Amino acid sequence: MSLRAKSFIKRTKKGNVIKVIKEHYLRDDIWCSSALCESCNHTDALLSATPRATESFRTPHYIVPDTNVFMNQIDIMEHPAIKDVIVLQTVREELRHLSMPIYNRVNAIVADKNKRFYAFSNEHHKETYIERMKDESPNDRNDRAIRVSVKWYANHLANGKKKAPITVVMLSDDRDNREKAKSAAIKCSSVRDYVADLTDSPELVDMVVSAKDASEAQAKADGKIEYEEHLSQVQIANGVKNGKFSQGTLNISGHNYLEATVMATVEGKQQNVYIVGRKNMNRSIQGDTVAIQVLPKSEWKKTASVAIEEDEDEATEMKAESENTDGMDVDNALPEMPTAKVVGIIRKKWRPYCGFISKKSIHGTEGSTSAQNVIFRAMDRRIPSIKIRTTQAHTLAGQRIVVAIDSWPTTSVLPLGHFVKTLGSSGDKETETEVLLLEHDVPFQEFSKRILEDLPAEGEDWVVLDKHVHNERRRDFRHLNVCSIDPPGCTDIDDALHVRALPNGNFEVGVHIADVTYFVKPGMPMDEEAAGRGTTVYLVDKRIDMLPSLLGTNLCSLRSNVERLAFSCIWEMNENAEIVNVDFTKSVIKSKFSFTYEEAQNRIDDDRMQDDVTKGIRTLNSFAKKLKQRRLEKGALTLASPEVRFNLENDSQDPVDVELKELKDTNALVEEFMLLANISVAERIYSKFPDSALLRRHPTPPDSNFEELRRALSEFNISLETSTSKELSDSLDRAVIPSDPYFNKMVRIMTTRCMLQAQYFSSGTEAEQDFRHYGLACPIYTHFTSPIRRYSDVMVHRLLEACIDADLTYGQELTDKMRMKELCDNLNFRNRMAQQAARSSVELYTNLFFRNKVVEEDGHVIRILRNGFVVLVQK
Amino acid sequence: MDVQILSPEAPSKSNSHKNQNAMDVDGGDVQLVMPGETITSDLQFMRGHGTYLDSESTVISSVAGVVERVNKLISVRALKARYTGEIGDIVVGRITEVAPKRWKVNVNGRQDAILMLSAISLPGGIQRRKNEEDELQMRKFFAEGDMVAAEVQAFFVDGAIGLHTRGHQFSKLRNGSLVVVPSALVQRCKSHFHLLPCGVHLVLGLNGYIWVSKPVIGNPESTDEADIERTYSNKNDIIDDAERESIARVCNCLRALARKFMHINDTIIIYTYEASLKYPVKDLLKKDVVDSITSEASHKLTME
Amino acid sequence: MSRLELLTPEGLRVDGRRPNELRKIIAKTSVLAQADGSAYIEQGNTKVLAAVYGPQEVRHRMQILHDRAIINVEFNVAPFSTSERKKRSKNDKYDNGIKLQTSQFPRSQIDIYLQVLQHDGGTLQACINAATMALIDAGIPMIDYVCASTAGCIDKQPVLDLNYLEESSDSPELTVAILPRTGKVNLMSMESRLHVDMLESVASLATEGCEQIHTILDAVVRDTTQHLKDSLMQ
Repeated sequence: MSLRAKSFIKRTKKGNVIKVIKEHYLRDDIWCSSALCESCNHTDALLSATPRATESFRTPHYIVPDTNVFMNQIDIMEHPAIKDVIVLQTVREELRHLSMPIYNRVNAIVADKNKRFYAFSNEHHKETYIERMKDESPNDRNDRAIRVSVKWYANHLANGKKKAPITVVMLSDDRDNREKAKSAAIKCSSVRDYVADLTDSPELVDMVVSAKDASEAQAKADGKIEYEEHLSQVQIANGVKNGKFSQGTLNISGHNYLEATVMATVEGKQQNVYIVGRKNMNRSIQGDTVAIQVLPKSEWKKTASVAIEEDEDEATEMKAESENTDGMDVDNALPEMPTAKVVGIIRKKWRPYCGFISKKSIHGTEGSTSAQNVIFRAMDRRIPSIKIRTTQAHTLAGQRIVVAIDSWPTTSVLPLGHFVKTLGSSGDKETETEVLLLEHDVPFQEFSKRILEDLPAEGEDWVVLDKHVHNERRRDFRHLNVCSIDPPGCTDIDDALHVRALPNGNFEVGVHIADVTYFVKPGMPMDEEAAGRGTTVYLVDKRIDMLPSLLGTNLCSLRSNVERLAFSCIWEMNENAEIVNVDFTKSVIKSKFSFTYEEAQNRIDDDRMQDDVTKGIRTLNSFAKKLKQRRLEKGALTLASPEVRFNLENDSQDPVDVELKELKDTNALVEEFMLLANISVAERIYSKFPDSALLRRHPTPPDSNFEELRRALSEFNISLETSTSKELSDSLDRAVIPSDPYFNKMVRIMTTRCMLQAQYFSSGTEAEQDFRHYGLACPIYTHFTSPIRRYSDVMVHRLLEACIDADLTYGQELTDKMRMKELCDNLNFRNRMAQQAARSSVELYTNLFFRNKVVEEDGHVIRILRNGFVVLVQK
Repeated sequence: MDVQILSPEAPSKSNSHKNQNAMDVDGGDVQLVMPGETITSDLQFMRGHGTYLDSESTVISSVAGVVERVNKLISVRALKARYTGEIGDIVVGRITEVAPKRWKVNVNGRQDAILMLSAISLPGGIQRRKNEEDELQMRKFFAEGDMVAAEVQAFFVDGAIGLHTRGHQFSKLRNGSLVVVPSALVQRCKSHFHLLPCGVHLVLGLNGYIWVSKPVIGNPESTDEADIERTYSNKNDIIDDAERESIARVCNCLRALARKFMHINDTIIIYTYEASLKYPVKDLLKKDVVDSITSEASHKLTME
Repeated sequence: MSRLELLTPEGLRVDGRRPNELRKIIAKTSVLAQADGSAYIEQGNTKVLAAVYGPQEVRHRMQILHDRAIINVEFNVAPFSTSERKKRSKNDKYDNGIKLQTSQFPRSQIDIYLQVLQHDGGTLQACINAATMALIDAGIPMIDYVCASTAGCIDKQPVLDLNYLEESSDSPELTVAILPRTGKVNLMSMESRLHVDMLESVASLATEGCEQIHTILDAVVRDTTQHLKDSLMQ
């Protein structure tokens, strides 16, 4: 093995220039991993002995793609038809610098043994390592390194006693690189030419991302609109620095895909800036981080928003646009809104989109397989139509398909993309649900075998043993009258309660939470999977579990009359429901009853019931009321959001009725104690892990969020005070119109929409005064009570266990604040996605319900657009 | 766990193997050991310096060096180590401290050697008893920083070396320059005081300190008051340029020999000196010159 | 997530080593003329110079121990040693666990000066190894070599001899020093958190690294001693 010092000059963050010297070992024990090779010492060769041969390359061969092939054609590389690929280290390193998501996807392919992608460390191989030559750019050096490696492979595979001839083919879309390869007698091909030969998977041709030159030509042909060039990253960075530009995330209106807002600082105050029209949006897409330039005041927005459905005919679209941007009758009641245009995209948020092909754009006769350009519509209305080229236009019509954007040249009205895969026919409930899950990035595949292996070997027969009580210092609460109260049909019971009188006149109240962390240990594949999923997603007709159902609905679930492990939070309270003492412990419980809210309510109301359990519930209920009263006095908000429930027909799962969910006293009962437990736990874990406690906060919403609502309410002479949650709460209480009993509820619903999202965060990354939970009006909060369906609670359980058990050994996952932050970011994202997926699911079923049906109901108009309005129907 | 260590570069074992063979040819007796290496597990041997016994009475080396065996006693001599004296050794030292009735002398040992007031020749005759007046003017004889040639007389209980300077050849050293070499290089021989043919006087201290000087004029045998005065004089004689150059040349020859880790005695010094005459003094410590003069000298030595 | 990939899927580390490989070691003894013993070691790009003075008279009489020697260790990091020049922080003092037979030198003192010339991870191990060689070079009796090596844990995989990049990317680093003859452990030091399940495999990897280092150091010292002896015998 020989050593080479790598030395280069680097600029640090502070701007100092330093010289970095690194060791770089070159080895002679890196094998080629071909099953045919006899000179290498590798075991378990990854590359098969009989790789594919094609029309143009008749010798069986392995494929060596260059960096750009992975960058642009990753979908093809992921296709099952592509196997026996050599991924060079040079390529992987370049990918890592270019794009983390692609790099991760490549890593996932490499990890999949069936794909037979071999990661070859050419940079550390003695014979394939090359020094950068004088005046050679890093890119050229890397291209050369790729060619040298391909050459090495070709020679290596040709030499020695091989049972069959075998070779390698380099894939590159860079013509220059191919020329050079050809002159060095290296076999190479462009991706398009290569996949054209793979006759057994014709869809691959559709998936090829058009090379740049071709797409530009294509775009020119229909060049109706020409966008401004984006500024360079340096110009943007300078512009942002000197205040000329602002930076923010583009958020396209759900009602009008030609209108977007960006949260940016304009005239010294943080506010929504409108971006109106295609030209101003300048090829940016929902979620992109963009640099914007505020337009002169004369062009500021003075009109109400317009709802635009993207029409199939582009002409009307253009008309709508011109209407929108040209002067309209000015409504003086509205204050001027700043508008801006996008000058550059800082980070693209492109992803594969689900949608369908616009029928009108398909030409030719049924069954024709010639390639044609068609228009693709994403399900997400905020995404513009995408132009794709496909040979299977007719087969794809009426199907839900996935499409990725390749580029958006300045001369093309619409972005250009390529077909990725088909999901199924549209309108089908299964397909639509899958679309919905994909659109919200919800991982919904079955749990893999590796994950299921982490379940206890006893399976369903697992029981609580004496050792759990004795060896783990669990407290034995099996004799207590513990019961759970949940919605009907609930199988994953996370929480149970008990109360009993103490001799000193106080009461002991216990909240028992399923001890998920007993089964899910850090580092297990099951734990990693759960952390990735983040939360259980509830759709109308199904549930996407975070944990395998054996745990969620059985071993962890605190069902009645079964002994279960629990994590308990025990308070001593006086009769005014004030906490005297709090204690946390692992325990064993045996729940006596699993009530539904209704059953519990009936027991409270039924005076004939005088057994211990019922009395307990009554005590808890009275405590809960006191707790709630106190909370409301402190300024906690009671907001409302309409939750609907579908009655599904049993066989077809089609919705037959829709109703709003009812709330009973007992809902509040459980909620109060859960809040209390969460607060107690939050305080405890923060004291032990000041840097890495996982907490939940709800930021105070900025005043501007209430602007519209306040204006609407002023019509009714109702003022809205929003500076603290207490004031807001009080003014909500005053927002009553005697003639309309539903009015208050509606105001509350609308206030909910002004709120910011509550978030998980790691205590080390925020200042203590920012820990506040605005909605609950408490200084510190976390999630502890639903570990079966939320990963945050699993982490909190681990943190709490580390707090109460001094002997416990735990790894860095509990103390590393950066890792905790990454986890929180993921959980926040998953939560948001889960919420949206649930909402979309409701929407889907609402649409299904109202399909071909006319129902008359009363409703309230809550928002007026120029050509439409949003109605809230009460029922 | 199955762990296999692969070093980026295999340690060069072959070299030491070759040397071990060479050793056997040399005499079989010279064995090289490293710390922690077992010398013998034979119970009949006694352990000496540089070794220790472990729980099973195995004799193990504690230094890197050569094994020396005297009957049943096994010891290991480190090639580079501090000076450990033997009675009768001639040493050169530097006074570091004046203490009541004694001087502390740095002789390159593990601690400073001790020169008692009673162990020096006092003015007014060798046999004169010391008196309080002498105690009060000890600095008149030796002050801090003075160089002195002395003989090891005894060992104190704590291991410190006791010196004496009684005798005509022992005196305060002046007119010259000190060269420090590893003590192992200076071999015991009949005389450690040499007047080289080039007119330079040498005191080869067995502790590795070598005093190179212009010879002191006067009759060393005489015991008269004037000579005694001269013994403790701090004043250098006048040394002319030629003498200075000779002294410098001898010093550099010594340094060259030390650099090649060669034994130092009067003969090799003379040969080296002769070989060095081709070069100017200032070039003597250049690497190739060092190689050339020392190999020439050692060649001459083996020719004898 | 822009974290470096410290271990590639094919099992190579950032610099091309496998998890169980040491960096290249270059060692020399007797590099300084003034010191009684000295050594220089390069473990990869970590370069350490060690000088030993003594045993010699104790400089401050207050410190004299009547039954054994006192040992001073001074550890110094050159300001140019790291990739970015830093202001010198105050001297860290390591108790480097060297097993000396100090009782042989009552009333004396041994000074060990350690100078880190270049820092690329694993300073403590390099210092211990350099000090061991310098002490042997000075002819000071020792029970045995003290060989040190580090091992860490990246993605649940124990890795030997972390370099600076691996060290600074938040992976735990365990330094182990052993007496190779008996396999006794002199020192185990870790300043970060490591899951206890991993400790055993990491420690055993580090121990095997120590043994590997021992053969390298032993060859170097043996060569030097042989060379000195040959010169003397001429």
